[in-house]
Amino acid sequence: MSVKVWAFSEAPEASREVAAAAKALAEAAGGVYTVVGLDGDGQELVGEAKLVLKSTLPLAGSPEAAAEALARAAKEEVPDVILVGSTKDGKEVASRLAVKLGRTCISDVFGLTLAEGKLRGKRNAFAGKLMADMAAPLPCVASVKTGIYTGLPGSTVEAAVKDVGEVKLKTRVIERREKTRGTVDLKSAKLIVSAGRGVKKKDDLTLVGDLAAKLGGAVGCSRPLSSDMGWLPEEHHIGLTGVTVHPDLYIAVGISGQLQHVAGIKDSKVIAAINTDKSAPIFEASDYGIVGDLYDVIPALLKELEARRR
Amino acid sequence: MKIAVCVKHAVDEAELKVDSGGNPQLAGAASKMSTFDKNAVEEALRVKAAHSGEVVVISVGTSDAKKTLKEALAMGADRGVLIGADPLVVDTIYTARLLAAAIAKGGQYDIVLCSEGSSDSYSGLVPPMLAEVLGLPYIGYVRKLEITGQSAKAERSLEDSVEVVEAPLPFVASVVSEINEPRYPTLIQIMQAGKKPMEELSPQTLAPDAKALGSMVASMKAQAMARKRVVFEGPPGDVAKKLLDALTTEGVLPK
Repeated sequence: MSVKVWAFSEAPEASREVAAAAKALAEAAGGVYTVVGLDGDGQELVGEAKLVLKSTLPLAGSPEAAAEALARAAKEEVPDVILVGSTKDGKEVASRLAVKLGRTCISDVFGLTLAEGKLRGKRNAFAGKLMADMAAPLPCVASVKTGIYTGLPGSTVEAAVKDVGEVKLKTRVIERREKTRGTVDLKSAKLIVSAGRGVKKKDDLTLVGDLAAKLGGAVGCSRPLSSDMGWLPEEHHIGLTGVTVHPDLYIAVGISGQLQHVAGIKDSKVIAAINTDKSAPIFEASDYGIVGDLYDVIPALLKELEARRR
Repeated sequence: MKIAVCVKHAVDEAELKVDSGGNPQLAGAASKMSTFDKNAVEEALRVKAAHSGEVVVISVGTSDAKKTLKEALAMGADRGVLIGADPLVVDTIYTARLLAAAIAKGGQYDIVLCSEGSSDSYSGLVPPMLAEVLGLPYIGYVRKLEITGQSAKAERSLEDSVEVVEAPLPFVASVVSEINEPRYPTLIQIMQAGKKPMEELSPQTLAPDAKALGSMVASMKAQAMARKRVVFEGPPGDVAKKLLDALTTEGVLPK
């Protein structure tokens, strides 16, 4: 079967990844793929065929505009599969596209294949407890999980340009600011020490910070500490609705290990946990655990680390 | 101010059992209001408290979903609408069309709130689909919402940035859990919730032309958590040594 696959993401890194997913899918099915970008989005598109959509106003920076532009182009070119990077804005683009084109849509998928007129892919479900095998009949839209595919390298292929006409927006962005990050970016951190409810008061976070500093790692936290207590900015929140991390070593301190938290740390190479409750679910999700009070264990770890450095 | 909140009755992911073959035991599994939907209900109640009006909770689900609607009513919503369909059978686009039809049927809503995603599948597709079907402005991943007159100003919490967005009413928004701390209903509120109006609609009469487009979960299996699960107990100094030894052997401690 000869299929036509489109790849789109407003985020440069995800765009290269989705391009890789589209290429793999097209090659396996004997089809073609096109990497689509928006005029003014500042991206250098990758891949063997490129399409840039333009309008009278800049399309970049608005999922609403991106979806409308993609829908207009897709109505003419009729790609069988439209892959969109599964960022927050990307999921909005995919959802809107599905409705505009009257297509079905699946989200956060990876391991994509085509068989019997269907796009198949895997996705996490039930906060990562289960792996679901999804099937979407063609033509369809799918958002592709980021951080799975290795992005394609740049290419010198000239992009085709398509004018999609005027696009009117219903919302207006009046301000955009970078989130304040800690000294280390959690997503790329090799070592993370995370605090949970076992930390009794905000001042005691210095203990967790001391351990992270000693190990040269970043500080994360479970949802209650950022959301409910406000002890750390939400950018430190690791879990299903926060940041997904994949360090070499993840140390969970005083974190019970709710599924939503574990969903964000599953890709860590080694997980260690410190918790007073021996039956806490975090120990099920850990390679090494210490049953003990963080207020005793962290000082002991710091002392031991100091001794080993001498 | 008339506010609709879309809620889902979901299998409790923490309680879900898996058999020895890795198959989830979905039939008869414990269920609850999808975790983050409580934040959407809470936000609607806060907007109502500030601007007066009515909060209507709407769910696509089996009769079991009445439990979730009742919980929202106990929190303070005024009435519930159940669209009787099995969420395991309907797909996201069908769900969005059913919710849109119920919202359109209910008259002029000023605000439609959803959570960013359900705690079971967490696809996050339905809220923007709903806005698209209704032809309304959409603001996704809202962590702060202000309503002034006929316009909304919202802070969107994205991966690496925060966006402040303006939209006229009516609009659809999805909220993140950072937006508020959901209230717990009192015993009296829980008892009174049963007396609040609950309407049941059938998908066939509500949206005779809407249908599922065929995307589906072909199968689900438990994910193997291949962790070593070595646990150390004893005096802090001893366990600290054991842990650091183990992590050194793994080669994950900085040199």
